[in-house]
Amino acid sequence: MLKTKIVALCGKGGVGKTSIAALMVKLLSQKNNRKILAIDADPAMGLATALGITVRKTVDDIRKDLIARIQNGRPQDKQETARQLDYEIFEALASGDGYALLAIGRPEDEGCFCRVNSLLKDIIVDLAGKFDIVLIDGEAGVEQINRRVMKTVDHLVLVSDTSAKGIGVANTIALVAGDKKAVDFHSIGLVLNRVRNGAEAHEISTRTELEIYGWLGDDEAIRDFDFRGAPLTEIPETSPTLGIVADILKKMDIIE
Amino acid sequence: MELFTDTITAVRGFIDRAAPQRSWVADHTPAWPKGGPRNIVLKEDLGLELGSPEKESISCLLWTEDLARVTDGRITLVGPDFPETLGRSLPFGKVVLVGVDGFNEDNAYDRHKDMDFLRYNLDLKGFMLRAVSQFMREWCRISTAALRDGFSARILGSALMALFRCQPFVRAVEIIYITSSTGDVGRLKEITAPAERIVAAMNKMAGEMDFECETCDYQAVCDDAAELKAMRDKLMQKKKEATHA
Repeated sequence: MLKTKIVALCGKGGVGKTSIAALMVKLLSQKNNRKILAIDADPAMGLATALGITVRKTVDDIRKDLIARIQNGRPQDKQETARQLDYEIFEALASGDGYALLAIGRPEDEGCFCRVNSLLKDIIVDLAGKFDIVLIDGEAGVEQINRRVMKTVDHLVLVSDTSAKGIGVANTIALVAGDKKAVDFHSIGLVLNRVRNGAEAHEISTRTELEIYGWLGDDEAIRDFDFRGAPLTEIPETSPTLGIVADILKKMDIIE
Repeated sequence: MELFTDTITAVRGFIDRAAPQRSWVADHTPAWPKGGPRNIVLKEDLGLELGSPEKESISCLLWTEDLARVTDGRITLVGPDFPETLGRSLPFGKVVLVGVDGFNEDNAYDRHKDMDFLRYNLDLKGFMLRAVSQFMREWCRISTAALRDGFSARILGSALMALFRCQPFVRAVEIIYITSSTGDVGRLKEITAPAERIVAAMNKMAGEMDFECETCDYQAVCDDAAELKAMRDKLMQKKKEATHA
């Protein structure tokens, strides 16, 4: 049995990482006999929307319920609590066409509930291990991936538009991630979005030491889907952007 | 030591009147392929769902030292068997009756927990289980492929029994499944409610450092069961000794 492959997408807000994540989920879910888990780790929960899925319960809802039970003084045996959280997280899994989606929800309230967070992370890691591929749509920083989802990923994919700020954020994330204390990863690379042409992509490549996994142009069809709030999983197979995302997945050895 | 005598009698009476029902002798060497670490049943593979969060569900573990109360190796099913229900989501009731030996106030709680956790060790291809002991809920998923290959109540019961038989204090095991209706599962839930209260009382005792019986929600439960009082006294003594050590 092959090891679970875990891909995490990070980058400045608004650069299009959720759209790219949704297209990746569409492509991966077309591969038969592979179990795919998408994790929406962005508090805005845009991935669920981009996939056209309604989320009824998030990991944060589960966490809050547990903390309330603890604060109400109900005794909680650790082993039994873990089993209950496992039940509730499975209940929170939403089903798409060929994949499952887990939404993490909004960031924690103030206060330290390290044991609860750690227990939840253990359960998510255990759940992830039952899938062939896990794709995490994260927030800007890699610390949140570690804090809220898991410590180790295979591919850390930084997404940026062509703005100096976007590239700067990607470079900063790469720098923070470099010592692998925030998140442990096996490969790291950059996906450029809304690029005018190859010359612009080449020019940007001189401003970063990151490997460029691929670049995507400004796509009217995707803009239209976004505008209408239509699920990106319905984008036609002939979409050039979908083809480029497939090439990016091939480059990372996720699909053949 | 006996805690569940009345509940066992009530369950037995309910099942004896339930119809239609089928019974099998468990297969002592159940042969169903193992699921392995990626044994998860997602919606797209789903053939049958039992006791999902939207459906009635009750899973109860009852033990007794009176072996005459347990028909060793018998699996009873009230309602349709799994392969007859492809594509459905059904309410689910389960009772595991265990004949045990050597239970006392010192070991009863730990042994009960050990037996309760055995179900998580089931490793059957195309079968997945999630449970919340606190609410006695059990949620199972069986894949379409497993149902087509004949995964049945007898196969599931036999595999679970095999796990119980590995416990040195287990002398007999009987399993009852209900898939017939929400009404039947709901009735079983009512019948087993006293057992749920007893287990909750044991959980509370084990989880607490001091014993304020006057303010405890389970005082009435303990007052009704001398064995629970003995367990509580033993735990108090242990904790006192630990404090002075």
